[in-house]
Amino acid sequence: MQRKLIVASSPHLRNEGVSTRRLMLDVVLAMLPTAVASVWFFGGSALMLLVVAILSAVAGEFFYQKHTHQKVTVSDGSAIVTGMLLAFNLPASAPWWIAMIGSLIAIILVKQMFGGLGNNFMNPALAARTIMMLSWTSLMAANVLPHAGQWLAPQTVDAVASATPLGESPASYTLWQLFSGDIPGMLGETCKLTLLAGGLYLIIRRVIDWRIPVSFLVTAFVLFWIKTGTIYSAESGSENVLYQLLSGGLILGAFFMATDYVTSPVSPLGRIIMGVGCAGMLFVIRAFNPSYPEGCSFAILFMNVLTPLIDKLTVPKPFGYVKPAGSAKEA
Amino acid sequence: MSGKKGITAVFMNGIINENPTFRLLLGMCPTLAISTAVTQGVGMGLATTFVLVFSNLVISLLRNVIPEKVRIPSFVVVIATFVTIVDLLLKAFIPSLSQSLGLYIPLIVVNCIIFARAESYAFKNPPLRALADGFGMGFGFTLAITLLSAVREVIGSGTFLGIQVMPAAYHPMAIVIRPPGGFVMLGLLLLVVNAVIKAVDKRKLAKAKEEIA
Amino acid sequence: MSNLMLIVVGGVLVNNFVMSQFLGICPFLGVSKKTETALGMGMAVTFVMAIASLFTFFVQRYLLIPLQLEYMQTIAFILIIAVLVQTVEIVLKKMSRALYQALGVYLPLITTNCAVLGVAINNTTAVDGGYNLIQSVVNGTAGALGFTLAIVAFAAIRERLAVSEMPKWMDGFPGALIAAGLMSIAFQGFSGLIH
Repeated sequence: MQRKLIVASSPHLRNEGVSTRRLMLDVVLAMLPTAVASVWFFGGSALMLLVVAILSAVAGEFFYQKHTHQKVTVSDGSAIVTGMLLAFNLPASAPWWIAMIGSLIAIILVKQMFGGLGNNFMNPALAARTIMMLSWTSLMAANVLPHAGQWLAPQTVDAVASATPLGESPASYTLWQLFSGDIPGMLGETCKLTLLAGGLYLIIRRVIDWRIPVSFLVTAFVLFWIKTGTIYSAESGSENVLYQLLSGGLILGAFFMATDYVTSPVSPLGRIIMGVGCAGMLFVIRAFNPSYPEGCSFAILFMNVLTPLIDKLTVPKPFGYVKPAGSAKEA
Repeated sequence: MSGKKGITAVFMNGIINENPTFRLLLGMCPTLAISTAVTQGVGMGLATTFVLVFSNLVISLLRNVIPEKVRIPSFVVVIATFVTIVDLLLKAFIPSLSQSLGLYIPLIVVNCIIFARAESYAFKNPPLRALADGFGMGFGFTLAITLLSAVREVIGSGTFLGIQVMPAAYHPMAIVIRPPGGFVMLGLLLLVVNAVIKAVDKRKLAKAKEEIA
Repeated sequence: MSNLMLIVVGGVLVNNFVMSQFLGICPFLGVSKKTETALGMGMAVTFVMAIASLFTFFVQRYLLIPLQLEYMQTIAFILIIAVLVQTVEIVLKKMSRALYQALGVYLPLITTNCAVLGVAINNTTAVDGGYNLIQSVVNGTAGALGFTLAIVAFAAIRERLAVSEMPKWMDGFPGALIAAGLMSIAFQGFSGLIH
């Protein structure tokens, strides 16, 4: 019955089924180069994690919807995006079952149990990644060194065991390494080249709003500039703006996760608040929290939590997005 | 309604029909905070039962003495007295449990289950019934918190009562014993309980229909 | 000063009452269906908690400790809080009609809000024989503001869930608890922020 209403609260589209699919296809296309880069840098295990995560997400959505007698919406492609994003947030050394459990949690607990696409209040992939990280901290540590081009090479786990270059000894990576992705990290967060290309594509195609990534990056730039005082110098190690912007999940988060239209504010002002807030939270966690040197996921999740409130405060009443969904329910 | 029921019915009421955790949704703070290990859950359950039984008894005995107007402060004093007794007893005899329950022992005083039973039951019923109600509610709470802690300990630590029960290859899902796990696992447990109740009701209804037909 | 800053950040984010310490869950789940009422509850709690921190500090320092009656802490504190809530209610009624109308209905509920008693006890057990007067009041206020942040954000989420396509069986407590669980994940990023 409920599925008959073609109104989801957030992707406001006319022909939902078709348009959501087109939208998701664009997102998948934008993520594809990064997926290829992750396989290039991290080899077969990256491919395996991507496949397991996507298959589990799709299967999870399919069986949940079958089991609860709903219309199966797997073909809209949103489960594929979630699975892919989740894999992007795993280290190459993660076992296959983490990808599977993570995808199932993202799809079932975070998304479907709250009503499916458009109704979840948290980014499913991000919430699941964080759950995995809090559950199996050591298995989720991104300490696999990249081995570009060596497809089937055995995984070498770096003994330093620090998550992302942020914890490394200063200046151990050049700017080019940071930019091209030749650094340890989660699968999809290392290669800034492909991430920026994909993000730009999404902005041009108007799939995502430029306001969130731009305000996110600008605020982060300013905050780290105030803190470190240098934009870039090789001697300052990680204590400079560019190093901070190019390490960890910041770029991936700013373009692909903070922009999720279901879990980010709808108004232009709200979106700028979202970007600024994400950067602010990220800065606080990175600067002061020694136990999680990388705070991007937590920062975005925190702003996800505040999104309904931001919407309430920034969306003018007559156009409140809550209304259509409410009236649709009575229909 | 409750006035006519037998003592056993009053006792069972607290465990099943009006289970404070699963049905009345009272006393959520200790339920969520303490249920990370079975020993803690049982300890908290029994400590609360102790306070509940005695405060119910005393309030029921004094129900004709305490003026309506000052009943709330009187309840507070009675409950706080028994909480202090439990606190001191635990400190003296089971210091390890006292340590792990920490702040949540004095906080039994503001556990809404105890307050709710004092106000809605003990103050209106004779001592024997109040006693049965105290035991019923106490055991109902203990049962629920133990069940939740068992689930959380097995999944989150791979142990039960501190003994390894999961195979060595199992990686404990640590988030389950952290705060988010508390909320989510209680939510999931409620879903299961609701589903079971629905199924039982359905069967009862079907049976009743059969009898009519 | 930096010490106080740490207490504030700790109270609002790191050791958020609701999200990390499970204090004040009853009002958090019970009074969070609408943002406006959630805000009212938050303000009332902030008000009471600041005053309660002040009073319990004096009672602990100048009454219980000199008389060696520390074991009477629970009884003494809960009585203070109960009396305080009543007094605040009466004073508000006399002094400010508007404020009373805004906060009045929430006040009786606060006596059994374990966060108030929790913060009063925490003030006395915090490092080095307890916080001093200013630290106690700051800690109480910051904790209450953290509570307000959590309950208002949660209420906005629940308002959204109420008009969403959430399945029927998730309505009420199960859905609220699972949503609160996901929300508390976001707060976990701060754990370890302060040692």
